[in-house]
Amino acid sequence: MAILELNQVTKSFGTGHKKVDALKETHFQAEKGELIAVIGPSGSGKSTFLTIAGGLQTPTGGEVIINNQNITELSEKKRSKIRLQEIGFILQASNLVPFLTVRNQMKLLDQVKKDNMTKEELTQLYEGLGISDLLDKYPADLSGGERQRVAIAKALYSNPSIILADEPTASLDSDRAYEVMELLQRETKSKKTTTIVVTHDTRLISYCDKVYKMTDGEIRLEET
Amino acid sequence: MFLAWNEIKKNKLRFILITGVLMLVSYLVFFLSGLASGLENLNREAVDKWEATAIVVTEESDKSLPQSSMTLDDIDDIEAEDTAVIGQFNAIATNGGKKANVAIFGIEKDEFIMPDVSQGEAFSKNNEVIASDALLEDGFEIGDTLDLSSTEEKLTIVGFTEDARFNAAPVLYGDLSTFQRVKFGEAAETKGDQINGIVLRVDDLSNVTDNEDLEVVEIETFITNLPGYTEQSLTLSFMIYFLFVISSVIVAIFLYVLTVQKISLFGVMKAQGVSNGYLSRSVIAQTFILAVIGVAVGFALALITGAFLPGAVPVSFDIATMVMYGLILIAVAIMGAVFSVWTIVKIDPLKAIGG
Ligand SMILES: Nc1ncnc2c1ncn2[C@@H]1O[C@H](COP(=O)(O)OP(=O)(O)O)[C@@H](O)[C@H]1O
Ligand SMILES: [Mg+2]
Repeated sequence: MAILELNQVTKSFGTGHKKVDALKETHFQAEKGELIAVIGPSGSGKSTFLTIAGGLQTPTGGEVIINNQNITELSEKKRSKIRLQEIGFILQASNLVPFLTVRNQMKLLDQVKKDNMTKEELTQLYEGLGISDLLDKYPADLSGGERQRVAIAKALYSNPSIILADEPTASLDSDRAYEVMELLQRETKSKKTTTIVVTHDTRLISYCDKVYKMTDGEIRLEET
Repeated sequence: MFLAWNEIKKNKLRFILITGVLMLVSYLVFFLSGLASGLENLNREAVDKWEATAIVVTEESDKSLPQSSMTLDDIDDIEAEDTAVIGQFNAIATNGGKKANVAIFGIEKDEFIMPDVSQGEAFSKNNEVIASDALLEDGFEIGDTLDLSSTEEKLTIVGFTEDARFNAAPVLYGDLSTFQRVKFGEAAETKGDQINGIVLRVDDLSNVTDNEDLEVVEIETFITNLPGYTEQSLTLSFMIYFLFVISSVIVAIFLYVLTVQKISLFGVMKAQGVSNGYLSRSVIAQTFILAVIGVAVGFALALITGAFLPGAVPVSFDIATMVMYGLILIAVAIMGAVFSVWTIVKIDPLKAIGG
């Protein structure tokens, strides 16, 4: 059964001759335990696709169904709750809070939400990401790659049913990038989450179960 | 509280500055309130000391004790549980070295406005007086003989009493006949029944007297009609009210600037599903923490300053009033924070993450 479903979703910006169809009519389904890659050139609509799938913006047409709930008609307040409960975002821009230590970035989630990882799971997560020694540091004292790994930890910590990652490995060297993909793969399989990774890097698609290609707002499943 | 407190810990300087501003504003509020109650006491101390409910003066005096003139016979027109006659006269007194503006109260020793003696003893002979201990601070002593400005009579200080200033002038308490001799000089013999008013302790003010020439004035009304009293307290109260408004505006501006700086951060948190409610509570909690610290430090500073000020500055801190003002300041600061809450609610998480 699909955990995430996009039916006839379209998204356009602007009107008249300035109108941009960022997303043409899109049908998409993702199952539990799937690791999915979305590749495509810059400007092809990958981020638009991801933010609509995650309930961060409303589509111009069509509907988005997360865990059997049609979120298209929900108020921002309710969508916000769904994002908190169901979705882990790993964003292009750092999504860390500058005045919280790495440890407290996770604690913040404990403040706003239940059912996060246990202590043991968290310790393993830190080790898997190689950030066990950084727990008392602030984001400003971390390198770009370290920050990205903390951001990943943060997204996984809340035990989301869907992980949406927008170029999560962009600021990492290849070894780290492979490690991160391995980690996402492991999490996806062991927790039966659904992970969608938007990336430029075609070397990473070998970790994925399905690969979608995006061109000019059209998404198409690639044969592997 | 978690976000609020961690942010304060990380950005100490920034928050010390805001707290410092709040501290200064509250310091000023507390100090002005001390000054206000000090000035009030200066005027009303001696009246408060009576623990009376009302005072009878003549209708034509317009509630002013010095302008009221009546005789001892007027007591017969008055019905009250407890009465005390009073004659009042202002003069400049000198002991040879020091000079002071004094209010002379002529009273009956066995009536209730007779003050407790804190030093020395009560008057027992003509021209002996108990003096306000404000004069003690000014350098007057027991045994001093006082020359008065408008009469040949001399008074002798035999004792002191605490907290006895009337309209800013230290009071000298003496016998009615002492008062009459000071006031009327040679003519005292024929004016032996002249007084200025009758102080009352009574539950029901409405049936005190039928005499149309007399007016029964409630003590609080009598005090607010003391010359300058209302003007002084209003001036200071207005300054305090303005400070409340100013502090709320300052806090609002500060927090607004801080919030605007964090728009993208709040946006990212909102993208993750952190609710407006949580973020708003965090801003409010932060304001609360800062306001409480600022107000507490301002409170302490005001008390410390008060302790080191020369006696001539009339400050007297009324803790209950100060606590109330402190709570108002905290409330007002939180009102200032509400603007920022509105900003947070408007943030579009999508813009913040710049996907
Ligand atoms: N908020 C927006 N307003 C106007 N145009 C937008 C907006 N967001 C995206 N677009 C346009 O939609 C298209 C797809 O953008 P995006 O999803 O960011 O692509 P990608 O992530 O693949 O680089 C681009 O042409 C972009 O200019
Ligand atoms: Mg993009």
